Amino acid sequence: MGMKFWVLLQRDVLVAWRKKSNIYQPLVFQLLIVTMFPLGLGAGAQTLQKIAPAVVWILALISTLITLENIFKDDYEDGSLGLYVLSGLPLPVAVLAKAGAHWLTTGLPVILFAPVIAVLLHLPGYAYGVLMLSLLMATPIFSLLGTVGSALIMNLKNGGMLLSVLIMPLLAPVLIFGAGAVLETTLGNNPNGHLALLAGCFVLALTLAPLAAAAAIKVNLE
Amino acid sequence: MNKIVKFYHEMGSPPSFYRITGYWLKPFFVLALALTVYGLIDGLFFAPPDYQQGDSYRIMFVHVPAAWMSLFIYAIIGVCGLIAFVWRMKVAEAVMMASAPIGALFTALTLLTGMLWGKPMWGTYWDWDARMTSELILLFLYIGVMGIYSAYDDDPRKAARLAALVAIIGLINLPIIRYSVEWWTSIHQGASISLMGGNSGIKDWSMLRPLLVMALATKFYYLYSMLHRARNYLLRTEQNKSWVMRQLTEQ
Amino acid sequence: MSLNNLNPHTSLQSTILHISHAQCQKGGEPLFAPINLRLERGEMAVISGRNGSGKTTLLEAVAGLGSFCEGGMEFDHPDSPDSWLQHSHYVGHFLGNKASLTCLENLNFAATMNGSSSHENQLSAALDQVGLGGYEYHHAGDLSAGQKKRLALSRLLILNKTYWLLDEPFVNLDVAGCDWLFECISHHINNGGAALLTAHDNKRIHEKADHLIHLERP
Repeated sequence: MGMKFWVLLQRDVLVAWRKKSNIYQPLVFQLLIVTMFPLGLGAGAQTLQKIAPAVVWILALISTLITLENIFKDDYEDGSLGLYVLSGLPLPVAVLAKAGAHWLTTGLPVILFAPVIAVLLHLPGYAYGVLMLSLLMATPIFSLLGTVGSALIMNLKNGGMLLSVLIMPLLAPVLIFGAGAVLETTLGNNPNGHLALLAGCFVLALTLAPLAAAAAIKVNLE
Repeated sequence: MNKIVKFYHEMGSPPSFYRITGYWLKPFFVLALALTVYGLIDGLFFAPPDYQQGDSYRIMFVHVPAAWMSLFIYAIIGVCGLIAFVWRMKVAEAVMMASAPIGALFTALTLLTGMLWGKPMWGTYWDWDARMTSELILLFLYIGVMGIYSAYDDDPRKAARLAALVAIIGLINLPIIRYSVEWWTSIHQGASISLMGGNSGIKDWSMLRPLLVMALATKFYYLYSMLHRARNYLLRTEQNKSWVMRQLTEQ
Repeated sequence: MSLNNLNPHTSLQSTILHISHAQCQKGGEPLFAPINLRLERGEMAVISGRNGSGKTTLLEAVAGLGSFCEGGMEFDHPDSPDSWLQHSHYVGHFLGNKASLTCLENLNFAATMNGSSSHENQLSAALDQVGLGGYEYHHAGDLSAGQKKRLALSRLLILNKTYWLLDEPFVNLDVAGCDWLFECISHHINNGGAALLTAHDNKRIHEKADHLIHLERP
């Protein structure tokens, strides 16, 4: 089982690595959008600093959101979904492997890129630690919930919009706790409460999302 | 006891569900109509004006029952979704999908009346307070359930099972949303003016009476409308079964 | 051509696939009249029917990527009755190749997922047999339609499965490829394997079939 898990994860990372646009597109997207904020809001450091925690966070979220659709859709369309669904590997474990690979190829770059966005928005220096920590806990949640959304729409032609509607309510609490943690830090407050709740969301997503995604795949294959 | 068990089993099979609920439609409709008329007249003309809000509080008699229904119906959708998903019960699918648009409507009504109430109270149509925000997210949950169903319209059975899954996920998510949104507003803003600001005034029986009547009226309207939709849903999805043929030729 | 696919440990046991009164549905409607099949080792069954009669849906249901709405299937195996997935392999219309992976990587992934980790030499040999020798490091997406098919079929040579479930395996193959595949399936059957397949325009395979399943309107 462990072997199959790693092979699936490895394969997905390799596929993403071969098609590098998958990896850099979300980052380019973030850069494009962040440029629009000073253009629209005015370049005053004070204004930007105020919205920085929220914008960095929302950009991380949206740039991940646009990559979620294909987690299972690609595999469904080229038939390779069958190779792991029928492999005897428990489906929730396969989902975990898919989520892991998605995090490595999307979540991790987003975390590493976040300081760049933060600099552009004048985020105060002492908030960087909490920003990185909050994204480190939240990006796996994006990937995990993404598997659920992607599994629900995997055989739809234009499922992207529906996917956003389906997982936005799931992501709202994550955004509240994550962006809240950074905001509290910039205001000089203790972000630990937010971070603890974010960790709780992570544990919940880790346990329930693979089951939900596996159930959705099974229904879709019926 | 036996009667209850028998009733339970009958309600699980589409033909007897269709037959039995046929007798209920008219009474429910009449009750809903009568209670609404009574409740509105009582609320709009006979209930005393609020000592703080004057007459503008009277929108509460629509707003509050609608808000209750929006949550109540989502709970029903979630429970039916669970039943539909685990036991593949067709009637549960029908009730779930029949409830979704009604619940969405009540949610939209809650938001709309809340905005209209907010203008005189807060001086603005929209305020991101905890109740309004979670009500808005609730609307997204409804749209999600209906959206996934209509996306798979070529296969109603699969559509219903996926919608059931979405509803279950939403049901788990709902308390988390409510809690997180409350946490969020309590930190970012001072306590916002509660729409139920005249909470002390609500203890007045002449104010409470129309509110309870309207709450009952919305329940009966929901039952009437939901059963009507659920029956049509069953006719549509079972159109090749013999009981539908019999039903349609009889009429 | 030496095609010794069969695992010596399982070759002695007799296994039977029973499909009884099975129907598949689409949008709540049954696609075809109930079918029955008893497929033993050493036998081949061919499914025929007009377009849209549910051939692919039936094969997917047998493979485990779909479901029957009525009836069902059983797998009789003396040791482990729940081991259908370990004894069958499905090559469908969607072949299962990842376009951005090389032939070797694709084959290796399929092998490992199925629990038969093969040495690179074996994988290369299998690619050689299907006529993809020298293409080991080509991306699957760069291959022609026929070559993609061959790559998918090469999985069968590596995976040591008794039951081959093939959806239109001859489509896109050239004449030599069809001949090779016919030989390959025959060899598999003669060595105690079994195959369930659709092949809408291949007379030879219809003549060789032990069972013909014609899907009719319900």
